[in-house]
Amino acid sequence: MDKQQDFVLRTIEERGVKFVRLWFTDVIGTLKSVAIAPAEVEGAFAEGVGIDGSAIEGLTRAYEADVLLHPDPATFQILPWRGEEDATARMFCDISTPDGQPAVADPRNVLKRNLERAAERGFTFYTHPEIEFYLLKSSKLGKDGQPTPVDSAGYFDNVPGGTAHDFRRASVRMLEDLGISVEFSHHEGGPGQNEIDLRYADALTMADNIMTFRTVIKEVAIEQGVYATFMPKPLIGQPGSGMHTHASLFEGDTNAFFEAGAEYQLSKIGRQFIAGLLKHAPEITAITNQFVNSYKRLWSGDEAPSFVCWGHNNRSALVRVPLYKPSKGQSSRVEYRALDSAANPYLAFSVILAAGLKGIENGYELPPEAEDNVWELTDSERRALGYRPLPTSLDSAISLMEESELVAETLGEQVFNYVLKNKRREWAEYRSQVTPYELRTNLHAL
Amino acid sequence: MSRGRTSLTDLARLGFSDLRGAQRLLEQVEPTLHALFGRAADPDQALRELLRLREHGGGADALLADSDAAARLIRVLGASAGLAGFFERHPDELDVLSSRVQRLPDAESLHASLLAGVQGSAPEAAVDALRVRYRRELARIAAWDVEQEDPIAAVDSVAATLADLAGAALDVALDVARASVAGDKQELAATRLAVIGMGKAGARELNYLSDVDVIYVARASGDLTGDRAVELGTRLAKALTRILSGPSSEPALWDLDANLRPEGRDGALVRTLESHIAYYERWAKGWEFQALLKARPLAGDRELGARYCESVAPFVWSSASRENFVESVQGMRERVTANIPAAQRDVQLKLGPGGLRDIEFTIQLLQLVHGQTDPEVRQRATLPALKALAEHGYIGRAEAAEFADHYRFLRLLEHRLQLAGLSRTHLMPRDPEALRVLARASGVAANEPELTARWQRTKTQVRSLHERLFYRPLLSAVAALPDEDFALTSDQAVARLAAIGFVDPAGALRHIGALTAGISRRAIIQRNLLPVMLQWFADGADPDHGLLVFRRLSERLGESHWYLRMLRDSSGAAHRLTQVLASSRFVSDLFLTIPEAVAWLEVDADLAPRTLDQLIEEGEAIISRHGDDPDAAAAGVRTVRRREILRAAIASILGLLSVQELGRALTDVMTAAIRSALRIARTEPDGIEFGVIAMGRYGGRELGFGSDADVLYVYRPAGAEPEAARVRAGELVRALGALTEDFSVPLELDAGLRPEGRNGPVVRSLDAYRAYYERWSLTWEAQALLRARGVAGDAELLRGFETVADEVRYPERLSEQDIREVKRIKARVEAERLPQGADPTRHLKLGRGSLSDVEWLVQLLQLTQAAEVPSLRITSTLGALEAAVEAGLLTAEDAGVLREAWLFASRTRSALMLWTSKTSDVLPVDRVQLEGVARLLRYPAGSASRLEDDYLRVTRRARQVFERTFYAASPAG
Repeated sequence: MDKQQDFVLRTIEERGVKFVRLWFTDVIGTLKSVAIAPAEVEGAFAEGVGIDGSAIEGLTRAYEADVLLHPDPATFQILPWRGEEDATARMFCDISTPDGQPAVADPRNVLKRNLERAAERGFTFYTHPEIEFYLLKSSKLGKDGQPTPVDSAGYFDNVPGGTAHDFRRASVRMLEDLGISVEFSHHEGGPGQNEIDLRYADALTMADNIMTFRTVIKEVAIEQGVYATFMPKPLIGQPGSGMHTHASLFEGDTNAFFEAGAEYQLSKIGRQFIAGLLKHAPEITAITNQFVNSYKRLWSGDEAPSFVCWGHNNRSALVRVPLYKPSKGQSSRVEYRALDSAANPYLAFSVILAAGLKGIENGYELPPEAEDNVWELTDSERRALGYRPLPTSLDSAISLMEESELVAETLGEQVFNYVLKNKRREWAEYRSQVTPYELRTNLHAL
Repeated sequence: MSRGRTSLTDLARLGFSDLRGAQRLLEQVEPTLHALFGRAADPDQALRELLRLREHGGGADALLADSDAAARLIRVLGASAGLAGFFERHPDELDVLSSRVQRLPDAESLHASLLAGVQGSAPEAAVDALRVRYRRELARIAAWDVEQEDPIAAVDSVAATLADLAGAALDVALDVARASVAGDKQELAATRLAVIGMGKAGARELNYLSDVDVIYVARASGDLTGDRAVELGTRLAKALTRILSGPSSEPALWDLDANLRPEGRDGALVRTLESHIAYYERWAKGWEFQALLKARPLAGDRELGARYCESVAPFVWSSASRENFVESVQGMRERVTANIPAAQRDVQLKLGPGGLRDIEFTIQLLQLVHGQTDPEVRQRATLPALKALAEHGYIGRAEAAEFADHYRFLRLLEHRLQLAGLSRTHLMPRDPEALRVLARASGVAANEPELTARWQRTKTQVRSLHERLFYRPLLSAVAALPDEDFALTSDQAVARLAAIGFVDPAGALRHIGALTAGISRRAIIQRNLLPVMLQWFADGADPDHGLLVFRRLSERLGESHWYLRMLRDSSGAAHRLTQVLASSRFVSDLFLTIPEAVAWLEVDADLAPRTLDQLIEEGEAIISRHGDDPDAAAAGVRTVRRREILRAAIASILGLLSVQELGRALTDVMTAAIRSALRIARTEPDGIEFGVIAMGRYGGRELGFGSDADVLYVYRPAGAEPEAARVRAGELVRALGALTEDFSVPLELDAGLRPEGRNGPVVRSLDAYRAYYERWSLTWEAQALLRARGVAGDAELLRGFETVADEVRYPERLSEQDIREVKRIKARVEAERLPQGADPTRHLKLGRGSLSDVEWLVQLLQLTQAAEVPSLRITSTLGALEAAVEAGLLTAEDAGVLREAWLFASRTRSALMLWTSKTSDVLPVDRVQLEGVARLLRYPAGSASRLEDDYLRVTRRARQVFERTFYAASPAG
């Protein structure tokens, strides 16, 4: 630790950093930032930085307002978009109560706690997300009352000289500058929709990376005069923005999902992990798909994973075992496709890990794989095959989560309560809306 | 072959165990040598090993030719099978025993010897050569050690020499490493590496065989960069481990343990000096500073090592003023006692109660506290530290001498046990034969029973060491103690008190002064007792308050004979007193009004609740004593009530009373108070019958501390005119209120559950109740009546009331509409009764899944089913819950969840009242409050967050059951 701190203090000097932003995340997954001067960094390492947490969603209860931010020197990075003259750096923080206990409501702490639980069983959890988002001309709506995408290209289209192309190039460079490796980037199915895949990392680093990623994308968009959104379903009739997440467990240096010669090279642990994901998928959906809007993506047809089943390379299944070269045992993984780009990655990774571990702990049996396109089946067929639907709305997702011991245990009682309360409020607000759809279809007819 | 044969009797006298076997084997040994075995710790082993050695060449025979050398050989072989094995492997080394070891070698000569041992060996051979030479020197030290007349006195110097030997081994190993590791020779030469000794190696008090704790510091010289120096230093350090502890044909010397380094196992093995300092400045935990107390340049670059030690010293000596020093000390103590397998507890020389670690812990704590301001006590080793503490007036000289002896005695046993097998053990043998050998080896006891007795005696005294060295001197700061030869200054005492968790140590010191000043019997007894009581107070959640109340209590009880006797003779009672006072404001406040209650602490039976009959009888006696003075009688009855509440409170803190038993006890106390008051109010026949009906938690026998008593009043004319009867009943109600009033422990009789609530008349005749319930009864009234139970007044009338109540509360059939009404009211109560801004998940009474959820669910079952199921006609919540399970109305699993939540919330409420002495129905958010409550709920220290999480989980589950069973299929929002 001290080496990293020394490195941070030295770099601040050498690079003439003027501000250091302390980053942390609220329960909903919004990035929060407090700037301190370089002179305060040493003290921040030693004692933390006190802030009034009561204003921050879910972070503290109103009466326990003071919390301390403890910057993690391993996450120190110079922010590339602020320019060298007025260099700004950032570090992610852990949050503690004044008596030095980790704050129960710090999402980063929730994930850390769950990673420790996995570590007690000898597992390290790795993830790699494929993050989709839309580029819009601006955040203002067009004349038709809809957002206006920057282009009308499609999947893997190369748009020469197009905004999206430049945009991805600039973003990828900036991400690499921040030490975040990009695996892949391309134009996605919707107009203005793009996807960038991050190279796999341990789940805590990855959750930090995702938070950084969102900021980078927004910053680059501003630089280029466009607007980027991670809203799960911004355009009617166009694909939503998912965050398919590949997950794997390692025992030491070995991939615990890999077993040479097994079906799909998938070990028993891998099968049980999937079984856990499937069994608990409905109750964790309020975390992996946390907004009213999330369910518009989840039930938009196409390739959205609406039904609880798994398949090998089946693009309609909730959990997919991707194709990879049999020689690459280390890259064995499972892909969870429900997650959307607006999830709080700390909490979402926590519940995915917990569901999978539950499967391993209790030795769940993996149901037979889905070979058809699940969307083309009839309701009765799906029932017969045992493919349960994911919740169809935030409301039903909340009800399922409310009954879930798994989620309560994973998040801790206080975060669990807070999320429920917050999401119920969101649902109530949504329900009170009268939508353009209703006006269009009802006003004249009734 | 009888020539020179030694008789069995003689062999027994020499100390052989297998006499016939020895007689046979001794035939191979010169008879003149036989007597020499008498001085071996284990003659049988010595003989066996000697014969075996002779098979390995002439070395042994050469020694046997000289009786002096023969004696030495036999002693060493009898003391150490480990060394015997070494000589078997290397018979050439036997010559080390040929001449008498005049004195222990110094560090320089050890280094020279080891260096000579490896001289000229190729790097591969050097490892074995070094190890062999090390053991040869070890044999020399052992030979000196076992020949000492006073082995206890020799412990210090043997331990120091063993540390020097380890240092020499490290130094020579480092030379070997430099010659053998891969890398540019010039760069290697420019890499300076210091090996810092930690633990016993650092303190120069090493055992025959223990881990050698080290920390590495590297530094570049010449053109080398710092990073490169660390890299090469790491290579050298790894090579050291391989050379000294790795596998080879000559076994490893000991484990080289570098885990005390910054970040422990996960940290870099070697760091620069600057990097070490940066770590200690920013990251190190309390115990790491305590470990640094022992740091000493042990091998390698001495100049660099000395700079390291100088640089870290300030951290050590300021650690006691760090914020979390108290926790870290508590943690240290726990680490000492935890992790000992139960089966080893009684044979642990080092870790068990009264073991070496106890001595080391106390001395280090004293050093850390006083070394802040006094450089004189900054010693590395235990014995010099003990001496310095005594010389500079922190502990008594006599005690210091006594504990130094105990320490040496325990170390001597440890040395002998380790020497025997050259193995790292801290366990006393259980086998009597092994104990006999140990007695002979140590030379401090003639036989096994004597040794065991002395060890037990030592352990007992060491157990009192902490109290005698740490706590007792605190008294000397405030009162001249006639039997002490020194006195702490008050600053020194304040530093000690702060180190064990007193928030206001200066205040605590004043209390100690007041408690121990003077020559009264009380002061003398308290002087004896206070040191250990301080320790107990420090274990509690609020030591400051506990000590303050103890002082006041003691002032009030003054010279009471029984009090002094109890303090003097019953440490159990004194311990309980500290426990109760440091954990409960409620009890400490009450205690001050009833100091005699201290006497109960001695006997469990005195803490058992009095039965209702006993209480009534005592009330009768008081009333008849004060027949003509109702105020005096009422005062007497009040005193009984307070006293009994205190008794129940103490018993519940000490874990002698479950929360259900507590509810029943407090209910009986309430009933006795009401009945006695009624007796005082009704001295003559007044032409009416009158009764008090218990309702709510009182009716359910579930009262807590500070609960109001819900009641109804009923009367029936018996001779008097109806109007006169009504007036009289009204008078009685007022009289009851006045007679039971108590300002210090409030007793509130609340008739709010009567028909028509606050708008109805306070008292009604039985006929009026009947008429009312027949005509007007609302469902909530029926529900309230479920817990109605006659408690005081005329028995006929009470029965009459219960009969009326039965009609209402156990209806043949409850209409759908009535059921809906109950549910609706519950829903409204949830929304409206909760205080503004209260967090429903934390409200113990009306909150999510807490008391009222469970109670309403049970009551709805009773209203709908009790007509069919007579076992449901019961006023207690848990009783009815059980009946509902038996009747198949609720699954055992659901009932279990509800029961757990009800008990948890009830216990928390009770703990909250005990801790704060204020009624509150909300789980606190303040962490100090949570901690106090958690301790009363028997959580270990530092469990505030755990209590919160547990409570929220248990009530969340209860709420799920409630939603499912009470509201049933509630429509989703």
